[in-house]
Amino acid sequence: MASQGLSVDGERQHGQDVRTANVTACVAISNIVKSSLGPVGLDKMLVDQVGDVTVTNDGATILKLLEVEHPAAKLLVELAEQQDEEVGDGTTSVVILAAELLRRANELVRSRIHPTTVIAGYRLAMREACKYIKSTLATPIDKLGREALVNAAKTSLSSKILGSAESDLFANIAVDAVMATKSSKKEDGEMYPLSSIHMLKAQGKSASESQIMQGYVLNAPRASQSMPTSVSPAKIALLGFDLRRAKMKMGVTVTLNNPEEINKIQEKEIDLTALRIQTVLNAGANVIFTTKGIDDSALKYFSGGNAIACRRVTMKDMRRIARATGATLQLNMADLNGDESFDPSMLGHAEEVYEDKIRDDTVMMIKGPKVQPINTVLLRGPNEMMCDEMQRSLIDATSVVKRMLDSNMVVAGGGAIEAAVSTHLENFATMLGSREQLAIAEFAEALLVIPKTLAVNAAKDATDLVAKLRAVHSLAQSDPTKISLSKCGLDLAEGAVRNNFNAGVIEPAVGKIKVIQFATEAALTVLRIDDLIKLNKKENTGEALE
Amino acid sequence: MDGPASVARGNGMSKESDGFLSRVSERAKSTRLGNITAARSVADAVRTSLGPRGMDKMVQTETGDVLVTNDGATILEKMNVQHPAAKTLVQLSKAQDIEAGDGTTSVVVICGALLEASLELLEIGIHPTIISECFQIGLDKSLGVLESMSTPVDLENREELVRAASTSLNSKVVAQHASLLAPLSVDAVLSIAGDERQGADLRNIRVVKKLAGTVDETELIPGLLLNQTAESGASGPTRIEKAKIALIQFQLSPPKTDMENSVVVQDYAAMDRILKEERTYILQLVKKIKATGANVLLIQKSILRDAVTDLSLHFLAKVKIMAVTDIERDEIEFISKTLDCVPIASPEALSADKLGKAELVEEVSFGSEKVVKVTGISTTPDKPKTVSVLLRGSSQMVLDEAERSIHDAMCVVRCLVKKRAMIPGGAAPEMEVSVQLAKLAKQLPGHQGFCVGKYAKALEVIPYTLAENAGLNPIEIVTELRKLHAEGLQTYGINVKKGTVTDIGEEQVVMPLLVFTSALSLATEAVRMILKIDDIVMTR
Repeated sequence: MASQGLSVDGERQHGQDVRTANVTACVAISNIVKSSLGPVGLDKMLVDQVGDVTVTNDGATILKLLEVEHPAAKLLVELAEQQDEEVGDGTTSVVILAAELLRRANELVRSRIHPTTVIAGYRLAMREACKYIKSTLATPIDKLGREALVNAAKTSLSSKILGSAESDLFANIAVDAVMATKSSKKEDGEMYPLSSIHMLKAQGKSASESQIMQGYVLNAPRASQSMPTSVSPAKIALLGFDLRRAKMKMGVTVTLNNPEEINKIQEKEIDLTALRIQTVLNAGANVIFTTKGIDDSALKYFSGGNAIACRRVTMKDMRRIARATGATLQLNMADLNGDESFDPSMLGHAEEVYEDKIRDDTVMMIKGPKVQPINTVLLRGPNEMMCDEMQRSLIDATSVVKRMLDSNMVVAGGGAIEAAVSTHLENFATMLGSREQLAIAEFAEALLVIPKTLAVNAAKDATDLVAKLRAVHSLAQSDPTKISLSKCGLDLAEGAVRNNFNAGVIEPAVGKIKVIQFATEAALTVLRIDDLIKLNKKENTGEALE
Repeated sequence: MDGPASVARGNGMSKESDGFLSRVSERAKSTRLGNITAARSVADAVRTSLGPRGMDKMVQTETGDVLVTNDGATILEKMNVQHPAAKTLVQLSKAQDIEAGDGTTSVVVICGALLEASLELLEIGIHPTIISECFQIGLDKSLGVLESMSTPVDLENREELVRAASTSLNSKVVAQHASLLAPLSVDAVLSIAGDERQGADLRNIRVVKKLAGTVDETELIPGLLLNQTAESGASGPTRIEKAKIALIQFQLSPPKTDMENSVVVQDYAAMDRILKEERTYILQLVKKIKATGANVLLIQKSILRDAVTDLSLHFLAKVKIMAVTDIERDEIEFISKTLDCVPIASPEALSADKLGKAELVEEVSFGSEKVVKVTGISTTPDKPKTVSVLLRGSSQMVLDEAERSIHDAMCVVRCLVKKRAMIPGGAAPEMEVSVQLAKLAKQLPGHQGFCVGKYAKALEVIPYTLAENAGLNPIEIVTELRKLHAEGLQTYGINVKKGTVTDIGEEQVVMPLLVFTSALSLATEAVRMILKIDDIVMTR
């Protein structure tokens, strides 16, 4: 039934047209990120409107900076971002897989299979794939050795800028950093809050000189040179208020009749602040961090009290320091008597706080915090872009490590999972007599896009390699004695098929399952759309009526 | 009115010799044609989204936001149609949304089919008034048939209600979560329905959307959920057991007069006093609150003054009072109803008997998002019950669609509370009505029989569309279904999952009687109205 004559204030596209347009848009997105997949994937350089340059291999970052316009493509990008939030890794795979699923679905629809049948088939295939990964392919590791964690971090890093020479170093840094955040104060087991990993980027020197340092590096210099460079043991006060001259609130006007009063008022302003500082110092504090400013004329009080003070410390730093040292952030000093005082129990403790130099910057080092050990990852690199990319890669790696610790299930990487699931689904499809069979078969085919892209990016013969890989997996699933072959994936350096599990290329199973789930979900959401209505902008219509 | 209308006007002019009368009727004819065409095109636009295997629509709004939905009312509302007759269909869908909450797509599709039928009747030369009256007869008879095929519902039978809610949810984008959302909506509605179960005011269900996690993690909270977060700037408590909650509408910040004012300082000692005065003022307020025994404070948002300052938060933290700010004015009613507390408008009105009591108030975080949960609220039996639903989703689009779907599901349950009768789904009632009406039509005299026959035929649009959307062969399915119903198998319908015609009663796909009767009545009335219009006059 043609529905001409529907007068909508805007454009309307429906049926096969909109489906093809949506699929094309999604495939276009996938083509952008495709070449960055895998250990030998290449990087993208993105220049934004201001002219800032980002060089990255991280799918999530690329997508975020792309500013996609097409509504269907936007959907895909949003789902990829979801993967980034939930798993932290595998965003590129989600996009590539979703686009491939869509492309194949569109072909099916063109050959007169109803989209609902395709949707049903895809959903069935997705469930079966996840079940298969959980039941057969995933290897549970009861007690995760450090080696396994390092290997997983390495697998994640291998596709990044840090992959080549320094993957050992960075994999260890990632594992150490995550382990250091371990906290088990909640009843429901151990928690690894990744947000408490502190990374500091410093340009200069080679990436291989990056290190994980004991203690907290605070990127803020002493407020005055006359302060001591080191105090030990340190009693730390975290303040959330201004230590500048006291200002009156809005609406308070100072009117003076006598010029001599001016001096007194000025003195009073300083005195109010001085009194506050003195109260804090009297409570025993010898290190004071504030999120606000400190007046130059107030510095002498700190120096006099042999205390270190830093101004303009970020809230993020404050929270981490508070957690590590047991300090409580004070927003105000008022007490219940209406006066001002400072309770010594609000102080945090550390063995030592001293000034150090990294590159040309002076930083404060907080060593030996009392409550929880804290580490700082110091990233070195030749330029800002490199440092940024290193940070992103490391964040991905740390989230992989966290996933491993959370789930304790690992799978082999390097296209092994995709090939195994694909082979399994092909067999599964032939067992099914209904119309969904075709869709499931296409789903199986679509999964192979991952090993294919990996091989293409590594400049290997994709057709040949994938064929070999499939042969191996088909053997593994038909012959129970050869079950170990199901862990075979691609060795992209050599261009051969090998047991990736033994080679240490492993990934958390949750990540892989989520990739398949999110990609299918994205594909289905786009596929279910059969009508696109673009309304005109309000302003335009206003003029059109005139 | 361009398009068909203007063309018709041209025709009228050319036939000027036919005289004045015929010109008018010509014009009326073309107006009707124009209206029907426009309205039908709206129905066609939403047709494909009907049923469990229906497709979704993507709408890019004026502001550039993208919306993906399966909900008929939402699609039409956002579509911004311009033709006046088409607009009546949009309102029709909205009316169904208000009346029944579900079946917003069906009502438009039925209306479209009825219009098509009336167009055929008009072409043969039957007068619109007669068509309109006959449709009313058709409607009356249909309602009788529906009533007779419905089965009574026992509200204590939770499973039955869950099945009805699932039927509604199965056609939505969030269908895969139906097993979770259906029982949730049933529990939500039943818990607010009260003991007499006279009706349910859906305003007593509060849905809080949070962009974190997946729809799977949606939960029903027998208590209160606040979208706001506890003020943690001064490290105040975020978890309070045995809470006494004060809902205040005044501010804990330095007072301001209504007029422009300024405090004049003439002496350095006065500076001290001002600072001290501010501290004392706030301190007095906090002490007063503490004196009532309150340990959780909900503060209404104010546009004139800061609700809290660093200083007052600091004091509150010191006396271990948890503070939640930015409560919207329109939330006050729900909160006071839920917590059984009285909003306190000024510090003087503070007293212990105005506080609400709860076992636990705590801030819960999911990733970067936080909500405040109030559970174990002590209630008095006579007050209206409320519940909160925490809806979670991975993207704003999914979240919005989930909210619409869960609203529909709740409406279905509400319909059952209102009118306790159910009919099978899967297009079984539509077919049954159609078959019964067709039988009846044969006994009616003259025009009536003919028109009612067409009315019966038009109702087949639902099974037809359902089959078409499920990728089945519609003609085959509809023919078989018609045959079965003619043989008296009332409960047979289209089983979309299996792709065949089966006994829907066994599949447990059910829907409230009210949804369908309301859809049918509204659609028929809309058609009657459109038929009666014979001229459109544009005024400025």
